[in-house]
Amino acid sequence: RTLLLTHRVDTIGQMSCNPSFGGIGKGHLMREVDALDGLCSRICDQSGVHYKVLNRRKGPAVWGLRAQIDRKLYKQNMQKEILNTPLLTVQEGAVEDLILTEPEPEHTGKCRVSGVVLVDGSKVYADSVVLTAGTFLRGMIVIGLEMHPAGRLGDQPSIGLAQTLEKLGFVVGRLKTGTPPRIAKESINFSILNKQTPDNPSIPFSFINETVWIKPEDQLLCYLTHTNPRVDEIILENLHLNSHIKETTKGPRYCPSIESKVLRFPNRTHQVWLEPEGIDSDLIYPQGLSVTLPAELQEKMITCIRGLEKAKMIQPGYGVQYDYLDPRQITPSLETHLVQRLFFAGQINGTTGYEEAAAQGVIAGINASLRVRRKPPFVVSRTEGYIGVLIDDLTTQGTNEPYRMFTSRAEFRLSLRPDNADSRLTFRGYKEAGCVSQQRYARASWIKSSLEEGISVLKSIEFSSSKWKKLIPEASISMGKVVSLRALDVLKYEEVDLELLAKAVPEPLKKYTECRELAERLKIEASYETVLSYQQQEIKDIQRDEALQLPKDLDYLTLRHVSLSHEVREKLHFSRPQTIGAASRIPGVTPAAIVNLLRFVKTIQQRQAAMNELPKSDQCLGDTDRLEERQL
Amino acid sequence: MWRGLWTLVARAARGPGRPCARQGSGAPAPGSGATIFALSSGQGRCGIAVIRTSGPASGHALRSLTAPRELPRARSASLRLLTDPRPREPLDRALVLWFPGPHSFTGEDCAEFHVHGGPAVVSGVLQALGESTAWGSRSGPASGPGWGPGSQHPGPSRSLAFAHGKLSLTEVEGLADLIHAETEAQRRQALRQLDGELGQLCGGWAETLTKALAHVEAYIDFGEDDNLEEGILERADSQVRELEVALDTHLRDARRGQRLRSGAHVVVTGPPNAGKSSLVNLLSRKPVSIVSPEPGTTRDVLETPVDLAGFPALLSDTAGLREGQGPVEQEGVRRARERLEQADLILAVLDASDLASPSSCNFLDTVVTPAVARSPSGNSQRLLLVLNKSDLLPPGGPDLSPELPPHLLLSCLTGEGLDGLLEALRKELAIVCGNPSTGPPLLTRARHQHHLQGCLDALGHYKQATDVALAAEALRVARGHLARLHGGGGTEEILDIIFRDFCVGK
Repeated sequence: RTLLLTHRVDTIGQMSCNPSFGGIGKGHLMREVDALDGLCSRICDQSGVHYKVLNRRKGPAVWGLRAQIDRKLYKQNMQKEILNTPLLTVQEGAVEDLILTEPEPEHTGKCRVSGVVLVDGSKVYADSVVLTAGTFLRGMIVIGLEMHPAGRLGDQPSIGLAQTLEKLGFVVGRLKTGTPPRIAKESINFSILNKQTPDNPSIPFSFINETVWIKPEDQLLCYLTHTNPRVDEIILENLHLNSHIKETTKGPRYCPSIESKVLRFPNRTHQVWLEPEGIDSDLIYPQGLSVTLPAELQEKMITCIRGLEKAKMIQPGYGVQYDYLDPRQITPSLETHLVQRLFFAGQINGTTGYEEAAAQGVIAGINASLRVRRKPPFVVSRTEGYIGVLIDDLTTQGTNEPYRMFTSRAEFRLSLRPDNADSRLTFRGYKEAGCVSQQRYARASWIKSSLEEGISVLKSIEFSSSKWKKLIPEASISMGKVVSLRALDVLKYEEVDLELLAKAVPEPLKKYTECRELAERLKIEASYETVLSYQQQEIKDIQRDEALQLPKDLDYLTLRHVSLSHEVREKLHFSRPQTIGAASRIPGVTPAAIVNLLRFVKTIQQRQAAMNELPKSDQCLGDTDRLEERQL
Repeated sequence: MWRGLWTLVARAARGPGRPCARQGSGAPAPGSGATIFALSSGQGRCGIAVIRTSGPASGHALRSLTAPRELPRARSASLRLLTDPRPREPLDRALVLWFPGPHSFTGEDCAEFHVHGGPAVVSGVLQALGESTAWGSRSGPASGPGWGPGSQHPGPSRSLAFAHGKLSLTEVEGLADLIHAETEAQRRQALRQLDGELGQLCGGWAETLTKALAHVEAYIDFGEDDNLEEGILERADSQVRELEVALDTHLRDARRGQRLRSGAHVVVTGPPNAGKSSLVNLLSRKPVSIVSPEPGTTRDVLETPVDLAGFPALLSDTAGLREGQGPVEQEGVRRARERLEQADLILAVLDASDLASPSSCNFLDTVVTPAVARSPSGNSQRLLLVLNKSDLLPPGGPDLSPELPPHLLLSCLTGEGLDGLLEALRKELAIVCGNPSTGPPLLTRARHQHHLQGCLDALGHYKQATDVALAAEALRVARGHLARLHGGGGTEEILDIIFRDFCVGK
C-alpha cells in the first residue's frame, strides 16, 4: 500500500512552469516513462491542445514528441487517475522530519528511514520513503529586489525538511530557475504574427494510444514573435533592480532568463513563442521571456515587443531559488547512500523539467517498492535508455546547474529512439519491476514479434538492382557494383516507405502496412540497420565494464591493499559508484585508480569463485585449516 | 572522459614488440603506494646504463645507496659512490639525480642512477635497490609478481606517467620510441613526438572536429524552435571538409614516419652472382650471407637490421633473379620477387664486368627500367643501381653503355665506392623516411594511421548521410578515432561549446 502526502490535494497535477510536455530529448524520456507504465504520457494524450513532433526533418532517432497541454485538463485528468488508483491513499500534510532507526546490517548507510513526521507532529510509518520536494526545499521567490519564501507562487516552502536533511549530513546546493509573466490572450494582436500549426495526424505520447483525444483541426495555434533592441535597453538599464540575476546561484544555460540571454548574446533578437495555456484559458505563456525584473518594468518590456504592444500582464514572471541535494549521494536506484530506504526524485536531485522528474519518479517508485519486497533494484543502464543516461550522469558526475536532457548526452542515440522505448523497457518493467499492465505487455509483445517477423521477411526478399529499379521507379537505386538487394536495403532509401515497397511486392509485404505504427517502425529499423550493427560492439564494451560490480560496502577511505590517492578515495567515497564503468566516468578518478580498482575487483571475484567451490573440499579440511581459510 | 583508457595504457606501454607487455591486461600497474625501479636504458652492454626508481621509497633508496650522504639537490646531477648497504661493498661511482614529486616525470618521487653499463654493475645496483626499496615500500598486492623488488623492466615509469596524467598517449609512445631508438634519426623523431608535436596536431584536429560536432548537435537539440543562426550546418560542413583535406595530406605521407620508426625495407636484388650477398655483408659489417662464386648460393630471403647512414633499415638479401634451376631455387626466386614488391628502397646490383649477359639485360629491362620510370613521385619505391665488381673493369675506365640509368660503381672486394654508396643511401632514405627534424610531425605507428584513416572514412559517411542523426553519428565515430589517438571526447565538452557559441533555450 502506498500513501501520497502533499501540501494540497488540489495541486496534484499542477504544471507549475510551462504549459507543455516533451521536446527534443524530453520526448524520449516520456516514451520511456510510458514504456514503464508511468502516467504523464497517457495524461498528456488526454489533455493536449497542440501536438507537434519537433525535428521531423532530422531523422527518427532525434524526433522530439511535444505538445502544448491544457493546464486545467491535465490537472483534472491526473487527479482522476491518482485518486482512483487502487491501494493508493492520498493525504494532505507537510512533511517536516524523518523517523530514523537502526540501519539494516546487510546494507550500507548510517541509518534507516521508517516513516515521516508531519508539521502537526503526527507520525506516519512506512517501509520506504520517496521524497519529491520540487523547488520547495527552502524555496524563495524573487521579483525585482523583493524576495519571499515560497515553493511556487502561493505555496509555502519546506524549511524544516531542508534542515533535517542538512543535519543528516547531506551535501546541499542551491539552484535557480525562472518563469515568464502571463499575458491576457485578448490583449495580443495575433494577426501580425507568424503562426505554428499542429501536426496532422497527431502522434500520441503513449504506446497504448492509437491517437489523441482531440482532432488536429480543433487544436489551438502557437504564435512566434521576437525581442528587439528596446527590450535589451530596458534590461540593461535596470540590472541594479534585479537581484536574481546578480546572485551567483547557478541557473540553467539552456532555458535561460531573457536577462542572461541579453547579457551573454547582446545585439541579437531572441524568439518568443506565445503558447496557449488551455482551451478555455484566457492566458498566454510567452515562452522565452522568463524574467525577474520588478513587475512594472516587465510590463514595460512586454509592450515593446511586436504583437504585444497593448498586452496586459496578468501575472509577473519570477525567479525561484531552492535547495537541491548533490545527486552523487544517491545510488542508480535513487536510494540515498546515507539513509537506507530513503529515495529522492526530481528537482531535489538537481534536474529541471517535468519529463526529467517523471523519469526519476518512475524509477524511485519502482525501487521503493522492490526494496520493501527485498528484491534486487531496478536500474536502467546508459545503453538501455535516456533514463539510464540521466541517472548515470547525475549519480557519477553530479551537477551544478539544473540538469536537462539532450539527445547529445546519449552515446547510443541511434538505438535509444522514441519509437522503440517499449522494446527496450516494457519487458524488463513487466518481469523485474512488476510495474507494467497486462494490456501494455501484450501490446509490446505483439509489436516486438511482428517487427522481428517483418525484418526477417524483408531480409528474405532479394532481387537484382535493375529489377528493383523497375518495380520502384521512384527510388534512386544506383546501378553500381551491388548485384542484388534485399527488400530491407531498398527500404533504407529515404524516398521508399513500406507502402511503396508493398505496392511493388504485395505478397508477403501487404499485411505489414495495415498497422501504421508497425510500418513506420519497420522503416526506421531499416534506416538504422547498418549503423546499429557497428554500435553493438561498443555497447558490449560498456556492458562489460558495467558488469564489474564494486562491493557496495567498500570503505574507500580506509581500504588497504588498493593504491589510491587521497583525492580519488574521497571522490569514490562520495559517489559510491556501483560498477567499474560508473567509477571510470567520475571526473578526477584517474586511469591508474581504475586499473587498481579493476585488479581489486578481479581478486574479489576470484576469491568468491574459490569460495563457491570450497564446500566440496570443506569436509576434508581440519578445523584449523578452515580457520586459516577464513582469515585469508 | 577517458572510459576504456586502461586498455590504452596497456596498448601504449607495450612498445614496439619489446618484452614489456606486462603492464597489459589484468597485470598490476604500480600505483602510488608501491615503489618501482627498473633499468630504463636498454638491456645489454652499454656505456652508461640508467636505472630509475619511482615511488615513495625512492628517497630512502637513494640515501641508502649513497650513504652516508644526504639527498642531492633536486633535479641536478651529483657524482656519488654507490654502495650496497648490506655488505657495505662499493658498487660503482655514478651520477645520481633526485626528482621529488609531484614535479617529476611520473608525478611521484623519482631517483635516477647513471651507472657504468656493465651487466655486473647493473645487476648489483638493481639488487641493492631491491633490498632498500623493500624496506620503504609496502608489499601489498600493488607489488605483484614482476613489479616489486627484483623486477627489471624497461619502462614501467612510462605507463605510470601516463596514468598520472602527465603525458598524453602520443607522448607516451614517443617516449617508448625514444627509449628504443637505435639510430640518430629515430631519436630525433621520438624526441619530437615526446614534445607533444604529434599530440598537438591531433589535438588541433580533434578541436575542429569537436566544434563541427557541437554545431551539428546544437542543430539537432535546439535547431527547431530556438533561433540558432542560419547556416550552422553549412559551417560544420566546411569544417569537416577542411579536416578531410588535412587528414588526407597527412595520411599520404603516412608510411614515412612509420618507416623511420621500424626501419625502411631495403631489398638487395639482381641477377645471380652479381655480388648481392657481398654487398649485404659489407653494409651490415658482418657475415650475414654465405658468399661463394657459385651462382644461386642465396636461396631464401635473409634479413638483417642495420643502421644505414643514421637511418634504421631492414636489409634483405634475396636470391638472384633467374628462371630457377630446381624447385628450391624457384621458391627462392618467388620469395625474392615478393620481397621486392614490399621494398621501400631497392638496391639493384649488377656485375659491372658482365653487363651484356642475357641475365643482366633481362634484369635491367624487367626490374630497373620500370622502377626508374616510377621513381620521381616522392613516396613510391625508390631504386639505386649499383654496379659491383668495379675492380674487374679495365683500368682505363669502365666501358659502359650510355643508356644505363644513373648508377654507382662499387667494389665489394676492395671497398672502393662505398662512401659514395653510403651518401646516396642517406639521400634516398631521407626521402623514404622523411627528415625527422623538419616538416610536419610524422605518424609513427600503424595505430596512428589506422585511426586517422578511420576518422577520414567516418567523415566520408558524414557527407553521405541524409539523416542528421546519422551524420552526427559519423562525426562521433570520427571523433572517437581521434580521441583514441589523443584522449578526450566527453559529451560535456560538446555541450560546453554549444552553450558558449549559441544562445539556446526558450
